[in-house]
Parts: sequence; structure tokens; C-alpha cells
Amino acid sequence: MDSLHLGSYTFSSRLILGTGKFSSSSVMLEAVKASGSQLVTVALRRFNREQPEDDLFTPLSAIPGITLMPNTSGASTAAEAVRAARISRELSGSPFIKVEIHPNPQHLMPDSIETYEASKILAKEGFLVMPYIPADPVLAKRLEEAGCASVMPLGSAIGSGQGLATAEMLRIIIRESNIPVIVDAGLRSPSEAALAMEMGCGAVLVNSAVAVAGDPPAMAEAFAEAVAAGHKACRAGIMDKSGMAVATSPLTAFLGPAS
Amino acid sequence: MHEMPQIITIQLNGEPFTLPRCSSVSDLLTRIASEEKTVATVINDQIVRPENRSAARLEEGDRVEILIFAGGG
Repeated sequence: MDSLHLGSYTFSSRLILGTGKFSSSSVMLEAVKASGSQLVTVALRRFNREQPEDDLFTPLSAIPGITLMPNTSGASTAAEAVRAARISRELSGSPFIKVEIHPNPQHLMPDSIETYEASKILAKEGFLVMPYIPADPVLAKRLEEAGCASVMPLGSAIGSGQGLATAEMLRIIIRESNIPVIVDAGLRSPSEAALAMEMGCGAVLVNSAVAVAGDPPAMAEAFAEAVAAGHKACRAGIMDKSGMAVATSPLTAFLGPAS
Repeated sequence: MHEMPQIITIQLNGEPFTLPRCSSVSDLLTRIASEEKTVATVINDQIVRPENRSAARLEEGDRVEILIFAGGG
């Protein structure tokens, strides 16, 4: 099986799992294990003495083969995201940073301008920058040129479960990109993850669809299987569509008519 | 001669917090029972690395952020 390359890192899993919105830390940890994910996102937050169990660093680090990808959620400007990224790197020891800058909690759409500015600074500082972006091919190319390790365009709004609403733009981004394209946000079901991989994505990032499932570890496993199947299909070469029927059985040499 | 108060007040994660004068960042972490290894400490916008925490003295009015990794997508 070929691997996902991000900077000098190599991952056999192409499913990145988010750790938010789970009913408990123990359910989240079971889902991470079941997903086989090797890259998981976390959010930098203030320590709360009343809820010390919120701290996920120790339990996640105890899972073999896990690399943390902190996000900059909560930032609404490039400066705030850069600050959060630098602090996160001290804590995680990981060069990965998901640049996530969304000023409006109503729609959580990423701010392209601030995201570009933050990504440019962080790439120069040696981070493996993974920007969460609108499905904009021009922005994706500019971020690639700025040294990002990947681009992470949204399928649809965060947590919306509206799937690959941006599919046609994603196809352009994938075709034009020389770095892995990772669909981040909006996926609801494993079939959508499989489709994203069939389209040529390098990976998908899923959180809500697993976290709010009736059985999160089982759903994590289902996503992992779908991602692997979709990627395998993409590499195998998917047949072209035809407007007409194309027979699979020979249309000649049928047995003679009944007498 | 004016005697220095033995208690200082800092801003800990945006809230007032009192502790003895000459406390270090390590002393503060012990006091709030947070794990040394799993938090980031930021004093007045400067990151204080774990190896520097026992030497880093807190002063009246310092803005202290103690940060962890929580769940997020």
C-alpha cells in the first residue's frame, strides 16, 4: 500500500480524525484506535482545574504511532493563529499545524486572507502547515506556493453533514495540486469519504460524523475502510462514463432462433 | 521602611489568582495540580519552556496562561 507523505512524515492511514464533540474521552480514544488514524487533531485551550480530564495530551500520546496536529481554532486573525501555532508546537513537539481561522461562528467559513497570511509565516518557521480553506483553486495554488504541506478545502460547512457540496471545485484543486489535497469538514457518511478518495484526495479529515454516531468506534472503522477502498479505486483507474449503454456480453453469435 | 506584601495577584487564564511572593511557574503548577508535562505556560505573551519553569518567578500583575490540548476537529 502506498503512503501519504506530508513533509518528512509518512502515514499508511489516509484518515485523519478530529477529537472534538465525543461524549467522553474514553469513547474518543476507542474511536481513534478503531480508525487506525495516525494523525489526529486537537485544540489548544485554557486549563480548567474543575475539568482536568479535558487534557487529551497524555491519553493520545499513549496510543502507538499517533502524531498530533493541533489546530488554531478560536483564532480570528492571522496574528492569533500564529501565536496559537507557536504555543501548540511547544506542547505537541509536532511540526503539524492545522491553520483554522474562522471569524464568524454562524457559518465557520474560513477567512482566506488571514489564513494565507498565517500559513505563509508558519511555513517559513518550519511548520508543516495544513490550512483549512474554502474550496478555492486559486487560493489552494497560492498556499502551495507559500510552502504548505497540504491544503484542506471544505466539502461543506463544519459539522453540517452536507457532504461534498464543493465537489466540482475540489476536482479542480486536486487536478492542479502538487501537494496532497485533504477534504476537511462536512462529510457525513463513509460513502462520501470513499468518493472524495476516488476523486483523488490524499486523505480526508473527519470529526463530527464519527463523534456523534451511535457507535463512534464502529463508525471510525467504517470510515477507515471507505477511505482505503476509495483510494485503492482511484489508483486502480476508474472507468469513464458513457452516455450510451456499452454491452458487456457479445452482441453477436447468439444461439439460433427456436424452431 | 515599607514592607513588601507577601502575597501577589496574577491574572491566571484571565481570572485573578493569589499566591505567595517569589513563587515560580513550577510552584503555580503544583498549586493548581496541573501536570507539568502536558501544559504549555505563557507569561506576558512569552512561552516559558518546562526546563525554565522552576527559575521563572512570578510578579504582581503577570498575565499567565496555562494551556492544554482539548478535543477539537
